[in-house]
Amino acid sequence: MSRPTPLFIVTSSRPRVGKTLLARVLVEFYCAQDRPVCAFDVNPDEFTLLDYLPAHTAAASIRDTRGEMALFDQLVLGDQVPKVVDLGYAQFERFFAVMQEINFLAEARRRDVVPMVLFVADADERARLAYAMLQRRFAGLALVAVFNLAVPQIARHVASFPPSPRGGPPLALPALTPVLRSVIERRSFSFAAYASKAADPTAELFEWTRKAFLAFRDLEVRLLLGELRSDLKHSA
Amino acid sequence: MAKPAVILVGADKGGVGKTTVARALLDYFLAHNVTTRAFDTEAPKGTLKRFHPDVTEVVDITATADQMKIFDTLSSDIAQVTVIDIRAGLFSPTLRALRDIGFLDAAKKDQITFAVFHILGPSLASLEEIAETAGYLGDAAYFLVKNFINNTTFFEWDQATHDAYFKKIKGAQEITIPKLNEMACEQVELASVPYVSFVANKGSDGQPASYSFVLRGYVRHWLGNVWAEFDRIRLVELVAAEPQRRSARQA
Repeated sequence: MSRPTPLFIVTSSRPRVGKTLLARVLVEFYCAQDRPVCAFDVNPDEFTLLDYLPAHTAAASIRDTRGEMALFDQLVLGDQVPKVVDLGYAQFERFFAVMQEINFLAEARRRDVVPMVLFVADADERARLAYAMLQRRFAGLALVAVFNLAVPQIARHVASFPPSPRGGPPLALPALTPVLRSVIERRSFSFAAYASKAADPTAELFEWTRKAFLAFRDLEVRLLLGELRSDLKHSA
Repeated sequence: MAKPAVILVGADKGGVGKTTVARALLDYFLAHNVTTRAFDTEAPKGTLKRFHPDVTEVVDITATADQMKIFDTLSSDIAQVTVIDIRAGLFSPTLRALRDIGFLDAAKKDQITFAVFHILGPSLASLEEIAETAGYLGDAAYFLVKNFINNTTFFEWDQATHDAYFKKIKGAQEITIPKLNEMACEQVELASVPYVSFVANKGSDGQPASYSFVLRGYVRHWLGNVWAEFDRIRLVELVAAEPQRRSARQA
């Protein structure tokens, strides 16, 4: 039996919520296990993920049909290589409009590609509306709300992002101290390298990275189990 | 048994997308298990034949021999529906010829189902064609098609003008063909395959092809919208009409 291909779309309808950080750590989660991974940076004019992880990331644009083809034709490949999309807030609406119009989910299902949207929440009302739109328009999609605790007042808005049936419970990213934030923002810093070399398991950054990696493992299992459950339901 | 059905796709003006509509019709009937044959009047080399070579024959509709080839074989079991893609400039002459050979009378007597898809361009001249066409139509089901596939804007029409022309033919129905992504449109042209084959990622030989998934998605979505229009006008029911049923409806 072939293994499904996970596809993570890390996005938000709002800027500065830690979306690229999440995409970056997710890519490094695979790197830390020596597993192949492919990332796409869909942020017009500012390819930050590409700057951090040039060996695994391609710049993508969906401003025209050629760009859409270059991106979506890759995302739908059932090659068992996990894919991570860092989708900027400016491209949010266009991306999901194209996804719906070309019926991406049906083709993904046919090719054993299992998409999951990691939606980084924000206290702004527009984020709640965008999340609700995804739930409404893509009923069969695994949608997971991500609460980056570094986003001001986000803990008060958890109820605005209810879990989706296929996505499961939300993911929480603890806030890092400003000093550690400046460390991980260095272009030369690698979570995978740090996790393999860190000597002190009680260090804040080690704990943070370990929690993030565990959460990603849980997400992957959730995705694959969700597919298995769906297959069993269909074969019953 | 259903009466033979003839669908004429035409316009006097060129470049308004007649062949696009004829192709979408052939795909629609194929998907609904309705047998078809098509005639492409762009002799000597037809565009429709390039996309649907198995069911299409290129004819010169002004030649008596070719008129016989089409209309003398309607009652045979070859196909339930005959689609005729009329070349630019030949729409009115063809309707005149159909009247002269008694075809329109046969439709009136309920021996044949006759439908006309009149593809409209953005100009007022296109609307004036409607008046000219109306004189020939008799008992035909008449569909006025606004074709937006190439992002046409019907800029010369205001509502009053539109109503004045459209009301000239009682029972005429409007159909809208939406815009198709330009690159998708171009790739189907290059592939020279029916829309359904492109969507199914198949080449002209039926073998798997490697068309872009994105472009296939755009074509699938567009074709779905076009077919929804055909569903709305109950096209399958129209061509499957039996003589008695149609008479009852008229009564």
